[in-house]
Amino acid sequence: MTETPIATATATSVVTKPNLVSPDGKIQVLIAMQNIWKTYDMGAEKVHALHGVSFEVHRGEYVAITGPSGSGKSTLMNLIGCLDTPSQGDYWLNGKNVSEMDDDELARIRNQEVGFVFQTFNLLARATALHNVELPLIYGGIPSAKRHEMAKQALGEVDLTDRMMHRPNELSGGQRQRVAIARALVNHPSILLADEPTGALDTATSYDIMNLFEKLHEDGNTIILVTHEHDIAARAHRVISIRDGLIEKDEQIK
Amino acid sequence: MKLIEILKVALAAIWAHKLRSALTLLGMIVGVTAFVTVVSLIQGFNVYIDEKIANIGAKSFSIQRFIPFEDFKDTDTIAAAQRRNKELTLDDYEYLKERATLIAKLGAKARGTPSQIKRNDQVLDDVFVTGATANTVDIENRNVENGRFFGDTEAEGAARVAYVGADIATKLFPAGNPIGGEIDIRGLPYRVVGVEAVKGTVFGVPQDSFVVIPLKTYQLDFGPLIRQRSLYFLATSKTDQGFSDAVEEARFLLRARGKLGPNEKDNFGIVTPDAITGLRDRIFGTFFIVAMVVPSIALVVGAIVIMNIMLVSVTERTKEIGLRKSLGARRVDILKQFLTEAVTLATIGGMIGVFLAWIVGKIMTVIFMQTYLSVFAIAGAIGVSALAGVISGLFPAWKAAGLDPIEALRADT
Repeated sequence: MTETPIATATATSVVTKPNLVSPDGKIQVLIAMQNIWKTYDMGAEKVHALHGVSFEVHRGEYVAITGPSGSGKSTLMNLIGCLDTPSQGDYWLNGKNVSEMDDDELARIRNQEVGFVFQTFNLLARATALHNVELPLIYGGIPSAKRHEMAKQALGEVDLTDRMMHRPNELSGGQRQRVAIARALVNHPSILLADEPTGALDTATSYDIMNLFEKLHEDGNTIILVTHEHDIAARAHRVISIRDGLIEKDEQIK
Repeated sequence: MKLIEILKVALAAIWAHKLRSALTLLGMIVGVTAFVTVVSLIQGFNVYIDEKIANIGAKSFSIQRFIPFEDFKDTDTIAAAQRRNKELTLDDYEYLKERATLIAKLGAKARGTPSQIKRNDQVLDDVFVTGATANTVDIENRNVENGRFFGDTEAEGAARVAYVGADIATKLFPAGNPIGGEIDIRGLPYRVVGVEAVKGTVFGVPQDSFVVIPLKTYQLDFGPLIRQRSLYFLATSKTDQGFSDAVEEARFLLRARGKLGPNEKDNFGIVTPDAITGLRDRIFGTFFIVAMVVPSIALVVGAIVIMNIMLVSVTERTKEIGLRKSLGARRVDILKQFLTEAVTLATIGGMIGVFLAWIVGKIMTVIFMQTYLSVFAIAGAIGVSALAGVISGLFPAWKAAGLDPIEALRADT
């Protein structure tokens, strides 16, 4: 796959919806970032965390985003995850322009389209694995019987059916991360967005988790992995390197 | 997110910090307990007075030497009333009885004397003995449990007969029927003719320790019907509608008898049920306001404590809020979650307070006076605590809802 040049859109130009399906109908563009800028107002001076980032991710891709700290990698991840909106530029996620959305619309998109996996798992300590996995479904307004069923299924996919009623403190690190992955998957989101998912795990467990990601990718999930570890990034099929708020390299490695 | 889900989350959060929640609620509980106790005491007293008036009948009134409270406001009014008003006499009674046309029944009673009563080796001290005409049994609507009240013949003949309260009967006649039995009042023998049904206590004063004897007997055995044995009349009007006319007729007749000029004050006092309830409302109106200050302060303090704890809770759970937002919780979801937690906490406090007040009320009914816990008081107390929860929870919840998900996820906690 080669990078298709995208018409650069400025804040003043008319928003043009990119072509989201290839002519043969096989490739679907899930993420289209068009000349994204993110500027932070630090009092007197303006800090540009991202200046003009453009790229596309297709359905079913396995992408790693790497870069040293301060590169704008986290900012980009927050934008992809719809936790934040760009200062300038358009971001299309699954056919929807999320760059102009307000807080509540973004919350809805996060609920429906994005599955987050965090470095520190971020599970509710008081709740069972099952309840933790159910959380996104609660905010999605899914009735409780259906919720249980979906959560059980998601836990099955990460091989934790027998740990369903355990609380996080009764689970190992790898198991906790698998609960978090089940939580991210439960709503069948468009993208699985993992932020340093192996950062808090030992090497062996890290490999288990990476194998799980591989399996999920084979099942057809679109995965975006944010990491600064090269061996972890090397497990992805495409690596986007960020430096100083710009894409330094975007290469297909598999 | 459905209400039941929010409630579950709130209860789980409260339960997770049981001790903290309990301590947080102390102020709330104290406030609500005090509030409900005071209200149930006042309502109990109101019920008591209403029942009393219902017993006596809305169309009955009394005529006595002074108007209570009105004439005793200060030393000047007491002195003036004492100069102006004379003791009522049995002649006044006869005069009124002959002339009044709108009065159905006119009875006479004398103020009671604390006396020693004996039977065999049983001795009761400070029992109130009063004299009354036979018809007062109907005017005062006495509930005769056993036997009968004394009749006109006994009253006219100054017979030594006694109608006694339930306490007297049970204490002097622990076994066997008191009717026809003999008791000794201040050294003189009396025959018991009737026993009244149990009445309980009011303000800790038992209401079942009394003896009523015929007025004439009282006059002969205890002394003239003046001062501490002051005479007063009880009257009922013929119809409900004619009540105020009957009162005015009695007033007119007594003023005529006293030859009072148009500008002179009555030299007697007439007390109507309205005057009694009016007096009650005046006393309790003030009492209520004063009694509400302490619970209100406790409630305000309780609400502040809840707000404080909710703020701590929001800070502690910043990361959780960030996580929930990243999973799709909207502002309003977070707002509802924390608001529900505060309201649930406060409402639990309110319910515990009501429960404690119910227990206190039960105890008070036994040792002090009748209490009455109305649905209104319960609903009011729980409503006020829920409202306190809303007020104290609003700011912390608003703070939580406004958190930036990125910042919140980055929090250390």
